[in-house]
Amino acid sequence: MIHHLLDALAMLGMSYVIGFLFYGFYRQFNARVQRRWGPSIWQNFFDNMKFLFKSETVSHGAMFFFGPMIIMAGAITTVLFVPFLKDSIWLQGFSQSGNLILIIYLLVVGPLGNALAVGSSGNPYGVMGVTRGLTRLMGLEVPFFLGLALVMLQHQSASVHVIMAAQDGIANWNLFTNPIAFIVMLLPFIASQNASPFDVVGAPVEVYAGPRVEFGGRLLGILMTQNMMMTVAKLVLIVDLFLGGATTVPILLVKAFALFLLTAMISLAFPRLKTEQTVDFFWKIPLALGVIGVIATVWLPWS
Amino acid sequence: MTLHFTPVWFIAVPLLLAFLSPLWVRLRLLMPILLGAHVALFALALSWIPTVRVAPLLETIVIAPPLGIHLHLDAVSLLLVALFNVAGAVVSAFLWLSHAEPHLRGRPAFILILLLIAGSSGMVLTGDIFNLYVFLEIVGVSAYALTALRRDKQALEAGLKYLIVGSVAAIFILFAIVLLYLQTGQLNLAALARDFGHIPAPMQALIGLLMLIGLAIKAELFPFNFWVPDIYRGADPEITALFSGVLVKAFLFVLFHLVFLLLADPAVARTWLMALGATTMLVAEAVALRQQDLRRMLAYSSLGQVGLITLALGFASEATTAGALFHMVNHTLIKLLLFLLTALMLRRFLSVRLADLQGLGRAMPLAAGLFVLGALAVLGLPPLSGFASKLWILKGFAEAQVFWPIALILLAALLEAGYYFRWIKVFYAPEPPVTAGQAEGDWAYTPLLLIAGLLLLLGVAPFLLEDWFVQAAKALLGRGAFLESVLGVQP
Amino acid sequence: MNLIVKLLFLALSLTPAMTLLTWDGGVAWPLFGGITLLFDLNPVPGFFLLLLALGAPLVALPMLRGPRDEPAYALYALLLLGMQLLLLAGDFIGFFVGWEIMTWSSYLLLLRSPRTNLEGAQSYILFNLASAFLLLAGMLVFYSFTGDFRIHAVTGLNTLQQLSLLTLFGLAFLIKVGALPLHLWVPRSYDQAPDVFSAFLSALMSKMGIYALILLLTLFPEGLAGLFGQFLKGPAAGYVLAWIGVITSIVATFKAISQEDMKRLLAYSSIAQVGYIVTAIGVGSSLAIGGALFHSLVHTLVKLLLFIAIAGIVLQTGHRRFIDLGQLIGRMPISFFGVLIGIIGLAGMPPLPGFASKYLIYVSLLEAHWLLLLAAMILSSTAAFVYCYKLIYGPFLGHANSPEARVATEAPWQYLVPQIVLMGLLVALGIFPGWAIEILIDPVLTALGMTPIGAPAWGQLATAYGGYDGVVLMSVFATVFVLVTAIFFLLRGRMRQAGSPYDLSYAGEVPTAETPLHYGAGLGRELRRIPLVGWILSHSTQGFYAGLVRQTQAAAGLLSGLYSGNPQTWILLAVLILAATLTVQTLTGA
Repeated sequence: MIHHLLDALAMLGMSYVIGFLFYGFYRQFNARVQRRWGPSIWQNFFDNMKFLFKSETVSHGAMFFFGPMIIMAGAITTVLFVPFLKDSIWLQGFSQSGNLILIIYLLVVGPLGNALAVGSSGNPYGVMGVTRGLTRLMGLEVPFFLGLALVMLQHQSASVHVIMAAQDGIANWNLFTNPIAFIVMLLPFIASQNASPFDVVGAPVEVYAGPRVEFGGRLLGILMTQNMMMTVAKLVLIVDLFLGGATTVPILLVKAFALFLLTAMISLAFPRLKTEQTVDFFWKIPLALGVIGVIATVWLPWS
Repeated sequence: MTLHFTPVWFIAVPLLLAFLSPLWVRLRLLMPILLGAHVALFALALSWIPTVRVAPLLETIVIAPPLGIHLHLDAVSLLLVALFNVAGAVVSAFLWLSHAEPHLRGRPAFILILLLIAGSSGMVLTGDIFNLYVFLEIVGVSAYALTALRRDKQALEAGLKYLIVGSVAAIFILFAIVLLYLQTGQLNLAALARDFGHIPAPMQALIGLLMLIGLAIKAELFPFNFWVPDIYRGADPEITALFSGVLVKAFLFVLFHLVFLLLADPAVARTWLMALGATTMLVAEAVALRQQDLRRMLAYSSLGQVGLITLALGFASEATTAGALFHMVNHTLIKLLLFLLTALMLRRFLSVRLADLQGLGRAMPLAAGLFVLGALAVLGLPPLSGFASKLWILKGFAEAQVFWPIALILLAALLEAGYYFRWIKVFYAPEPPVTAGQAEGDWAYTPLLLIAGLLLLLGVAPFLLEDWFVQAAKALLGRGAFLESVLGVQP
Repeated sequence: MNLIVKLLFLALSLTPAMTLLTWDGGVAWPLFGGITLLFDLNPVPGFFLLLLALGAPLVALPMLRGPRDEPAYALYALLLLGMQLLLLAGDFIGFFVGWEIMTWSSYLLLLRSPRTNLEGAQSYILFNLASAFLLLAGMLVFYSFTGDFRIHAVTGLNTLQQLSLLTLFGLAFLIKVGALPLHLWVPRSYDQAPDVFSAFLSALMSKMGIYALILLLTLFPEGLAGLFGQFLKGPAAGYVLAWIGVITSIVATFKAISQEDMKRLLAYSSIAQVGYIVTAIGVGSSLAIGGALFHSLVHTLVKLLLFIAIAGIVLQTGHRRFIDLGQLIGRMPISFFGVLIGIIGLAGMPPLPGFASKYLIYVSLLEAHWLLLLAAMILSSTAAFVYCYKLIYGPFLGHANSPEARVATEAPWQYLVPQIVLMGLLVALGIFPGWAIEILIDPVLTALGMTPIGAPAWGQLATAYGGYDGVVLMSVFATVFVLVTAIFFLLRGRMRQAGSPYDLSYAGEVPTAETPLHYGAGLGRELRRIPLVGWILSHSTQGFYAGLVRQTQAAAGLLSGLYSGNPQTWILLAVLILAATLTVQTLTGA
C-alpha cells in the first residue's frame, strides 16, 4: 500500500517535472529556430504556479467546476496506468491492471470531461472549439490506433509490459522491427500531443475563442498542469512501445527527450492545418500507409 | 313419421322456406327464420361429419331414368356446404341485429339470400352437370337481383352489368355442357369423367376452354374478373360479403372439381391454372394499392385471395389442396368480417372513402379493432387462422421443392400489407373523425365477434379441423374414389 | 380502478422475469400436419430473455404516467408475449409466430403516437414484414432441405443450398437490426414512436435481430469456410457480415451527428451500436460472440436509460430538437446524470461497461487479424464522441433556448426510478466486468459450443491479449478525483460564481438574452467539410425507396386501367381470348 502510494507520487512528480521542463525546452527551441531569445526553461513552471495561486476564479456552475477536476483525474489515472520503467518494481503505478487499449481510451476521458465544462460555460465559441477537438480526435485516432494495433498484433498482446519485455536489445525495438507501424502512428501522435501542425484546437487564437475561452485562474492552472503531465505520459507510452522502454530513469529521459525532439522538429517545420484538412490528411496519408502496413504484415503470405 | 335426413335438405329446406315467405312476413318472423334455417342446416352438416368420413353419401332422385338429381355428399362438399351456411347465418344474424336498411330486411332479400345459399349448396353437392347448370342459373339470378336490391343508380347499374357478364359466362358453360352431352351422351359427372378421355383431343380442348372461361368469369380469375370491383362497389356490403364469401367459393370449387374429375392427370392443366392463379393474385394486389374506396379495395383483396387459392389448388398436391380449402374457409370468414364492418362504417360515416374514414378508431374503436384483426388474418400473420392456412399451402410447395409460388405468395402478401396497413394507419389517425350517420348498437357486433373468435381459435388450434381438411382434399383429388362410389367400378 | 389496472399492467410487464425464473420443462403445441411448436428455455435465448425481463418493467413504469390507456397496455402485453414466444421457440414456426406477433403489436403501439405519419408507419411495417417474409421463405427452404422445422445445426448441404439459406435468413435479420442500406425504417419509427416506447424498440426489439443472427451461426457450424480462408483467417461469410456491420456503424454515426432531433440522433446511434454487434457476430470467435453479447447487454441498458431520460425531457418541455432546449442541468439534475452515464456507456469510455464490451470486440478483431475492420470500427467509435457530446450539450448545457426550457422541472418519478436503476446497473457492470462474463456470458458461450472467456476475478476482464481490472480502475479514478477536488479547495484563493449566464467573453461585447448563444443544432455541422463525411451525409437511401414506391404505384395505376367499368370490353376480351387460344391450338396442333 505504502509502496503503491510512493510509487504513484513519484510517477506524478516525475511526469510533472519532465512535463514543464520539456515544454520549457520546446519554447526555447522554438524561439531559437525563429531567431528569438525565448523564455527561460522554467517559464512553464512559473506560469503554472501563477495560475494555481490566483486569488479569484470565476465559475459558471457546478459542471464548469467539475470539468477540470475530471480532466485532472483522467490525466493522473492515465499517468498511473503507463509503466515508466521495465524490469523494475518502481514507477509502475497500476499498469499491471491495465493495457494499451485501456490507455488509449483513458487519454480521451479528460478531454471529454472538459468538454462538459466548456458546454456548461454557455459560450458558443467554447463549444465550437470542443467540436474541433473532437473532430480532430476522430481523424487522428484511426491511424493512431491502426499503428498501435499493428504492434499489438506483432506481439499478440495488448499489454504494454509484454510488448516492452519483447524488445530486449536495440535490434528488437519495434521502431526497427515494425517501422511502418511507427511511421503510421507518428503524425497522429503529434496531433494527439496537440502540437503543430495539427494544433488548431489549441492555437493562440483559440485561447479567447476556443475550448478554454471561459477558463481562468486556478481552473486554467489545472488544465495546464494536466496538459503537461499527459504529454509526458504519451511520450513514455511511445517509448515503451517502440523504443524498447527503459530500465532506469536516465535512459527513459534520454529516449523520451529524443522522441520529443523528433516531434518538435516536425512540428516546427510545417504550417498549421485547418481541422477538416487535418482529418482529411489523417484519413489519406497515414491511413493509406497503415493499409499498406496491414497488407504487408497480415495479408501477404510471408506474414 | 321419422325424419329422414338426406343431402337434399340443404337445397330443399331453403327453397321451401322461401316459398313460405308470406307466412313469415305475417308472423314477423322473417329474420329469425333466415338465421334459424342456416344455423339448423349448419348443425345438420356437422352431424354428418362422422358418416362422410366413412364413405360419401349418394342421393339420387329419379325423375325419368336418364334424368334425375344426383347429389354427392363427400368431405369436401360437406365442408363447403357447412361454410356456406355459416356465412348465411352470420349475414342474417347481422341483418337482424343491426340497423340494416329496410330493403335488406324485407321479403325479397329474404328469398334471394335463401336462394343464393341453396343454389350454392346445390352447385357443390350435385353430381350431374345439367343440374349444375340449373343451380348456377339460380345462383346467378338471385345474385343479380340482390345486387340491384337497393334500387339506386349505382346498384341498378351494377345489377345490370352483373346480369350481362353473368349471362355470357352462363352461355360459355352451357355450350361446354351441350358439347359434352353431344360427345358422350352423358350428364352424370362420374360417367362424363369416365368417357371424357375418349373424346377427340381438339374437342377436349374446346370444351375445356369454354368451361374454363365460363367458370373463370364466375370465379373471378384474371383476365376475366374486370367486372368484380364494379359489382362489389355497387351492391350493399352485406350482400358483397355473401358474394365474396359464398359465391366465389362455390364457383372455384366447381372449377376445380371439374378439372380434377375430367382430367385423368391434372398435371396437364397445372401450369395453366397456377399461372392463372398467380396472375390474378399479383395483378389484384397491385391494383388494390391505389384504391380509395374501401369496398373496391376489399374487392381487389378478395380477388387476390382467390388467385392464391387457385394457385394452391392448381398445384393439386394434397398439402396445398388441404391448405387451399382451409384458406377458403378463412377467406370466407375474413371477408364476411371485413364487408360487414364496411357496412357498419358506411352507416356511420355515409362514405367509405379513405379520406372520409380518418380517425375512425376513435368513433368506432371496436370496428377498427376488428378491422385490424381481419387485416392481420388476411395477411396471414400469426396467431390468426390466415397464418395457419397460408403456412399449410407454403409448406406444401416447400415439400414439393417448388419455390416460385412461395416467392410470389410472399410478394403478394407484402403488397397486400402495403394497402391494408395504409387503411389501418388512416383509421388511427390523430385527427378527430367526422361522423354523419348514426351509431350502431352493441348487438350488431355479436356475429362479428363470433367470427373474430373463430379466426383466433383456428389460428391457435388448427388441428381441430385438420382432419376434415385432409379428408376434403383427398375427396377433391380422389378421382378414382369418386368414380368408384358412383359407378361402382374402378375406372 | 385506475390503480388496479395500472398495477395489473405492471405485473404483466414482469412476465418475462417470471418466465425466466420459473420456467421448467418444455412445452409442445401441435399445430397441424405434423408441425409442432416446441418451447423451451435454453441458455442462448435465456440471455436475451434476461434483457427483456430487465427492460420490460423499466419501460412499463413510465408508460403508466398519465391517463389510463388500456389498448396500449394490452398491446404491450401482447408484444411481450410475442417476444417470449420468439425466445422460447425451439422450432422455426414458433420463432416466426413470436416474430410476427412482435411485429404487428409493436406497429399498433407505434400508431398510438400522434406524431406517426403515413411514411413512418408504412416503412416500419413494410420493412418488418419484408424481413418476416424473407424469414418465412428461409424457413420453408430450410424445411425443404431438412424436412424439419426444428432449429438445429445442419450439415451436408452443398454451397448453393447454404448460400441460399444464408442470404434469405441474413437479409431477414439484417433488416431487423437495421443494417445499411435496409435501415430506412429505424430512424423514422424510433423518432415517431411514443417517446417511452422508443426505448423499448431500440433497446429490446433490435436485440431480437441480434439473437436471430447468433442463431444463424448455430445453423451452419462449418460456415462457409475455405473461401479466401487464407487471407481472411476466418469464414468469408463472416467477413462480409463484419464489413456490413462496420459500414453501417460508420454511416449511421455520421448521420447521427447531423441530426437536429434528440430521438432521431438516438435512432441512428442505435443503428451504429447494433452495427458493432453485427461486426462481432461476423468475427464469430468465442471472444467476439462474448463481446457481441456483452455489447447487447450494455446497449440495452444504455438505450433504455437514454430514451427514458429523453422522454422525460420531451414530457417536461414539449421540445425534442436540440435548438429548442438547453441549460436543463440545473432544473433536471437526475436526468442530466442519466444522460451523462448513458453517453459515457454509449461512447465506450472506461470505466463503464461500454468499454469492456468494445474491448472484447477489438481484441477479437485483433485475434482474427482483421485490422482494417478494427480501424473502421475505431473511426465510428471516435466519431461517436461528437454525437454523444451533442446529446448532452444540446438539452442540458449552453443556454435555454425556449420559454419551456427555462421553466421546466425534473421529470416525474416514474421516469426517474428506471433511470436510477439503470445508472446503478451500468456502474456496477463497469466495476465488475468479470462478473458479467462469468455469470451471464460464459453459459451462453458454452451452450454455443465455444470456449468460455472466463474471468480470474469479478472485477477483471481477461483475454489472451491481456485485460484490465475494473475495480482498480474505478477506485483509482474515484480516489484521484476526490483528492484533486479536495486539494483544489485547500489551495489559497476563492471561487466566484459568474453574475449571469451572459457574463461571457464574447467577441468583446456583452451578449443579451436575444443573442443566439445556444449552439445546439449547429454542433457538428462543420464536419460536412471533411470530404468523406460530406459525401456520406449527402447520400441517402430515401430516394431509392421513394422511387420504388413510385414505380409500384405507377404499375398499379397501369394495371388498374384494365379494370374498366365497361361490360362490352369484358365480354369482348373473353371471346377474344377464346378465339386466340383456339387459333393457337389449331395452328400448333397441340
